[in-house]
Amino acid sequence: MSLFPKAGGLRRTIRDTIRVFNRNKTSWAGLVLLLFMVSLAVLAPWISPYDPIDQNILERLSPASAEHLLGTDHFGRDILSRILWGARISLSVGTISVLMGMAVGTVLGILAGYKGKYWDYMIMGVMDVFMAIPTLLMGLMVVAVLGPNLVNLTIAIALTVAPRFARIARAPTISIKNRDFVEAGRAMGFSDLRIMAGHIFPNILGELIVMGSLWIATAVRIEASLSFIGLGVKPPTPTWGGMIREGFQNILSDPWISIYPGIFILITVLAFNMLGDGLRDAIDPKLRNS
Amino acid sequence: MSKRIGLVSVFLAAIAVSSLLFVSPSFAEVVLKIGTLSNDANQLDPHVSTKSQDKILFPWVFNGLVRFAPGSADLSKIEADLAESWKSSADGLTWTFRLRKGVQFHSGYGELTADDVVFSLNRASKKETSTAYKGYADFASVSAPDKYTVKIVLTKPIPSLLGMVTNYHGGYIVSKKAVEKLGDNFKTNPIGTGPFAFSEYQSKRQVTLVANKDYFRGAPKIDKIIYRYLPDEASRELAFKNGELDLIYGTREQRWVERIRKDKGVKVDIIGLGELRTLHMNITKGPLKDIRVRQAISHAVNRDEMVAFVGQDVAQRSISVVPLGYLGNTSDVPLYKHDLAKAKALLKEAGYPDGVTLKVIITKVASLRVPMEILQAQLRKAGIILDLEVVEHSAFHKLIRQDASPLVLYGAARFPVADSYLTQFYLSDSTVGTPTAITNFSHCDAADAEITAARSEADQTKQLALWKTAQQKVLTQTCSVPIFEQLIVWARTTKLDYGFEMKNSLSNGPILNEMTTLK
Repeated sequence: MSLFPKAGGLRRTIRDTIRVFNRNKTSWAGLVLLLFMVSLAVLAPWISPYDPIDQNILERLSPASAEHLLGTDHFGRDILSRILWGARISLSVGTISVLMGMAVGTVLGILAGYKGKYWDYMIMGVMDVFMAIPTLLMGLMVVAVLGPNLVNLTIAIALTVAPRFARIARAPTISIKNRDFVEAGRAMGFSDLRIMAGHIFPNILGELIVMGSLWIATAVRIEASLSFIGLGVKPPTPTWGGMIREGFQNILSDPWISIYPGIFILITVLAFNMLGDGLRDAIDPKLRNS
Repeated sequence: MSKRIGLVSVFLAAIAVSSLLFVSPSFAEVVLKIGTLSNDANQLDPHVSTKSQDKILFPWVFNGLVRFAPGSADLSKIEADLAESWKSSADGLTWTFRLRKGVQFHSGYGELTADDVVFSLNRASKKETSTAYKGYADFASVSAPDKYTVKIVLTKPIPSLLGMVTNYHGGYIVSKKAVEKLGDNFKTNPIGTGPFAFSEYQSKRQVTLVANKDYFRGAPKIDKIIYRYLPDEASRELAFKNGELDLIYGTREQRWVERIRKDKGVKVDIIGLGELRTLHMNITKGPLKDIRVRQAISHAVNRDEMVAFVGQDVAQRSISVVPLGYLGNTSDVPLYKHDLAKAKALLKEAGYPDGVTLKVIITKVASLRVPMEILQAQLRKAGIILDLEVVEHSAFHKLIRQDASPLVLYGAARFPVADSYLTQFYLSDSTVGTPTAITNFSHCDAADAEITAARSEADQTKQLALWKTAQQKVLTQTCSVPIFEQLIVWARTTKLDYGFEMKNSLSNGPILNEMTTLK
């Protein structure tokens, strides 16, 4: 082991990841599904057959047909187009909120773990309070206070995610900070910031990525749930949760309006979970060395 | 051995007797279970609440001096209720009502006397205790010469005075004793003289009414009414289909009506008076200050598409600011035809070649939100972008009264006389944000003179002419876009029979009384 396992740790993690991925077919499936979803979202403006907010009252609530592959909703809007555009919001809210939560949580977690003492008590105390509030309730409170729009929705989810990452970051930090290479760095007069950012962070990145992929799945679900109860984005912007909610008006006669976006949520959440499981196996030292 | 037989026979006899207790249909209570739209009552004081789902209950619990024939909202078919007879003086300034004797208030609050009527009408005409007070501005005094006589003196003749003492809003007669004794609790414990008496209110759950066995027209055949708050349309329908509810507030859309009509044992009633959905435009704020922008919006609205969406059976297109069927409604008004090119041209002329964006507040409730989303799509085609903020229904009502939204989509049914609509929505006195505010969201002030003059015009031809001019002036100022009228849909089991034809109602719901039966 080199004295300062910096980039090497990261490079090895990536190499091992690919190796375990090759052993684990499910994670490849997850990755493929996910890339498919992301490409749908990215290409939405070009591949959507219709304008997602264009109403056609006379053709409303029509079932799947050659013209409208997934049918139309109660305003006669093309469901497929709305799902494709909705993917952009669902995926970006999911990813951005988790990245935000990850950034905040990781910084706080490393700080708590590395500094210890009252830093640890203070930070983790606050984090525990946040953790005690159920995720959906937390999102609901934040959106209710700040008002329902895309930015606030993202902030709300980030807040529910952050404490989880603080937890994940803190524990390995405590064990790493007493390792030789950190001690050596300290002896050479490196600043705390340099040790935390340059030496501890790369060594816990693997865990964070796994957690991230699993939490994106949860974030997509929270976004859908908040949109479903009407705390999502403004009409007529399409989101998956919002579409399910709108479909509820006609759920007894035309259930597909809610079912199709539901299926897309299901696939996305499944893809992230499959990917996350594969990644976890990849960085688990027990599995990695076998 | 014989002891055992004795024991067994006693046991069997006990089972037989107790099973009789369970199987005794002839003693069963007749309970009518109703599912309504809202998630809770606002309050159950008939002089105060203007919320549709509260109004539905009032004619079941209260009476007026006179009433609309059950199932009708026709002013020419007014009949006696708590008053047996009435007459007016030659100059039309003094009205005398003779009360029915022996009418009892619910819950032992005693016999109805002229004192209660005087108290009720005075209460209805005071701003602190009533939201109907404006209609009673021309009442000089209400007095009780004796126990069963009520005298109303007016400052100027009101041709439609009987309309103000019907079973509607300020016309409901409440118990003086109950109001004084219950104080603030009256709003969740209403005491009237109607066929059903208030029994219990459970917040966000239900209101229970029981038959008023002493009702002066005879005891109702329904023993109990459970009025449940079920805001979710799908769950209301499901409960109805499962037989847990006998009568529900339906979805006011053609497709729903057609679908549920096909079900066995279900009858759908489409009831007037419809609620006129009007888009009010604040003429004092932002781009809407410019009349050309307001005209552009008027031309961008596509009424036919809206009616096609809601459905021919439950909607009718409207062009005047006073609803159809109201005394004084006219179709001789400036018409803004659907014309996108003209709308765009008007916007360009007003200095908005790239269109305008308006931040608009709308309620979550589907009956307003859905039409608003259609309007959003229609206006977008003309370059008018609506940035919609969807809020809770109660927040919506609060915010639009604080001038927070430049466009207000509002639906309402009022007393079926042009004056009620014109006064509340277009008289400058009623402008929101002022101390005398009602629901003039547009700050309209074009027809103040006509609206005020018409109110005390004794000659009906002249009165109608004034109302017509008022409607024309309001639309010339382009204060609002009347779009369509939406009728009210109720679905009931065929076992429920109102006892009369349920065509129109001022209460937003069916009338239930001593004639109503549930098999």
